[in-house]
Amino acid sequence: MAKFLGRRLLYLLPVLLAVTLLTFLVASLLPGDLATTILGDQATPEKVAALRAEMGLDLPIWQRYGIWLWGVLHGDLGRSFRTGETVWAAVTARLPVSLELMVIGVVLSLVIAIPLAILCAVKSGTALDRFFTGLAFGKLSLPNYMVAILLIYLFAVELNWLPATGWVPFAEDPLANLRSFILPAVTLAFAEWPVLMRVLRSDMIATLQEDYIAMAKAKGLRPARILLVHALKPSSLTLVTVAGINIGRLIGGALIVETIFALPGIGRLLVGAIYARDFIILQGVVLFVAAGFVVVNFIVDMLYAVLDPRIRHGRA
Amino acid sequence: MTSIHSRLAKIILPVAIAAGLSAAPALAQKKGGALTVGIELDIAGFDPLKVGVYDTSPNIAASLFLEQLTRLDENGKPKPSLALSWSASEDYKVWTYKLRPDVKFSDGTPFNAQAVAFNFNRQKDPKNNCRCAFYIANVLSVEAKDDLTVVYTLKDPAVNHPALLTRPDQNSTIHSPTAIQAKGDDYNRNPVGTGPFVIKSWTAGDRMVLERNPDYWNKGKPNLDRVILRPLPDAQSRFASLVSGETDVVWADEYEADNITRARKNNALQVLEYVGSGAGVAALNTKVPPLDDVRVRQALVMGLDKKKISQALTNGLARPASNPYGEGSWVKCKDDGALPTDPKKAAELIKEYGKPVQFKMLFTATPRGRATSQVYQQLWKQIGVDMEIEQVDQATFPPRAFQRKFDIIGWRIVDFPDPDVQMFANFYSKSPLNLANYSNPELDKLLEQSRVTPDEGKRTEAYCAISRLLNKEATWMWIFQNTYYAMAKAKVKGIPKLYGGVIDVSDAWVE
Repeated sequence: MAKFLGRRLLYLLPVLLAVTLLTFLVASLLPGDLATTILGDQATPEKVAALRAEMGLDLPIWQRYGIWLWGVLHGDLGRSFRTGETVWAAVTARLPVSLELMVIGVVLSLVIAIPLAILCAVKSGTALDRFFTGLAFGKLSLPNYMVAILLIYLFAVELNWLPATGWVPFAEDPLANLRSFILPAVTLAFAEWPVLMRVLRSDMIATLQEDYIAMAKAKGLRPARILLVHALKPSSLTLVTVAGINIGRLIGGALIVETIFALPGIGRLLVGAIYARDFIILQGVVLFVAAGFVVVNFIVDMLYAVLDPRIRHGRA
Repeated sequence: MTSIHSRLAKIILPVAIAAGLSAAPALAQKKGGALTVGIELDIAGFDPLKVGVYDTSPNIAASLFLEQLTRLDENGKPKPSLALSWSASEDYKVWTYKLRPDVKFSDGTPFNAQAVAFNFNRQKDPKNNCRCAFYIANVLSVEAKDDLTVVYTLKDPAVNHPALLTRPDQNSTIHSPTAIQAKGDDYNRNPVGTGPFVIKSWTAGDRMVLERNPDYWNKGKPNLDRVILRPLPDAQSRFASLVSGETDVVWADEYEADNITRARKNNALQVLEYVGSGAGVAALNTKVPPLDDVRVRQALVMGLDKKKISQALTNGLARPASNPYGEGSWVKCKDDGALPTDPKKAAELIKEYGKPVQFKMLFTATPRGRATSQVYQQLWKQIGVDMEIEQVDQATFPPRAFQRKFDIIGWRIVDFPDPDVQMFANFYSKSPLNLANYSNPELDKLLEQSRVTPDEGKRTEAYCAISRLLNKEATWMWIFQNTYYAMAKAKVKGIPKLYGGVIDVSDAWVE
């Protein structure tokens, strides 16, 4: 098990290197650079060239990447040229907001998806099944921002039950904090549940046809126990995989959701950094997001071992 | 140039010393309470060296805790703020300001002429590479003659210099020199001013909380105890936050026409609208065919039905412009020489030109840029003109403009309290921003004259003559006036005109 863990952790390094190098390259393809942004549109070419030299922007890209990487390895992620904040301070101030949003979003989507999937698997082929799978399909084609605006209109403007925008720190008022996350998390969950439900439903239908399920039924076990204990666990491998991979999509969704609901999360930081050509912040956020994504998928791999003993004992 | 006004001795502008105490409106201003304002964007900071230029969002925040030497009154004229009075030299190149005594920054540092000079020198210093230096290029020096006298020396004359110091922007706001020196890199997010409020807390991306400054020099002000600024980037949820009561005032623009219309119909809400000076415009490069022919240029102007464009893009909210000044400017022309909207006549002119009219127009690569370009394309197609749309990134746009690498380019005459800065920059033949590539000695003479004419009537005449000349030659197209919006609860009072789009709630109260 330790060996398995260690090997997995080793994968993390090349992934992070590749991702940060790629952002570095893509960012350098954007028109306009830091020197022009700082000096303004009206600066003379000589002044821009001088500042580029001063900031090391005239160095070849691999050298600049090397300098950045060297800094990161020494715990220095750099400072935003615009706000003067360190990347570390900027990211850690906003990370809890995005994490809370995503965790609540994922939990909500599972809470919706799992019962519906079980129901549809058991009633597979019936009108009920067709209704929910159809609904899931319809929901898949409805974009996040539409859902967000509809939710705001209904729950904030018409009913006035929940805040339309904003965020309250957990330490200040835990209840208000949760209230401020309900609509954004529901928006995220709305985008996630259909995929999860459809995946689990089809796996569940396959599992329910296994011999040992027939055996369990023959033994007279209660249907609820068969479904939740004997069938759900082996059926959830794909679900876990998809949920893990979807974290990436979730981060993308959080960019939009954080903007619409005005949550001070990492997505807003990223969008702002791109518009302002604040490459140091951009690079730092991407590093964090990529690391988070890799870690989540690493946890998913670990979960496989828990869910499926064959992986644990098989080739170790 | 200076001899024109030799008869004018050094003039002293009349100034109400007791402004703010005497001319207060008769309305009962309620004290206390809090106001939440939804602004558009996150604020990066306030150190001019770091952020370079303030956008509307930092302008709104700055109007609460920072102050300038002057501010605009209800008629768009400069009135005292940190300066009490001012006078100009005969040639309008040296301006002397007398400062308000006994003013302190909220960190206890005394406000004086040295502080004003310190702020200026820091921005002007070439070593600091400040983007902000561009906007004070015309100021050669700012010197403290004594504690309460500060002297601005200008390169080119400015007859209305006090008006140019009124904006709560990166150049005109006066920051505490002690705080700047003590805080270094951290000053950007911990700024200190003399204003009616002080920053209590600031969570990036979420909110800035400002509380009343107990030591504010204008005793009895401000009315509110607290102002909360919240960046709400999405227009729909920003409006929803106003309707649901989370905010009291929100920033808006004409692309939110639906929300503005809804707010107007709602008795609990009010819409603040201010038509500023300047306009959204387009420059026609007069050096490239077919735009070197005045008939083609006139046809393009007459073929562009601005009312239709406004209807298509902003539900009719955007106001067509017919000159570079706008309704908010003190320049009012009886005859600005505007060409009529007349597609038939336009089509005839194109026919008369005889050759196929094809060119490219440069837009920004934004959804708005795309929508606008398509409407133009359709309208011009109807008069027999073939316009190709070229969309480029925001960062590529200005270099293309400066190098004149365009046929027609979308541009903006920025809203300034005095027209001279923008007029000279955009229309003077030797200006780097003479985007139309157009040179006319008569135009240059009028522009030179208008910046040294103190008499407003005579200046207006000169500016209107300029407008007639530009319209006749059709070197520029004026599309829409700069119009600013805010939506607020009906019970919010005391917000002045939205000069330059700034929602200034420093003197507001809630009934």
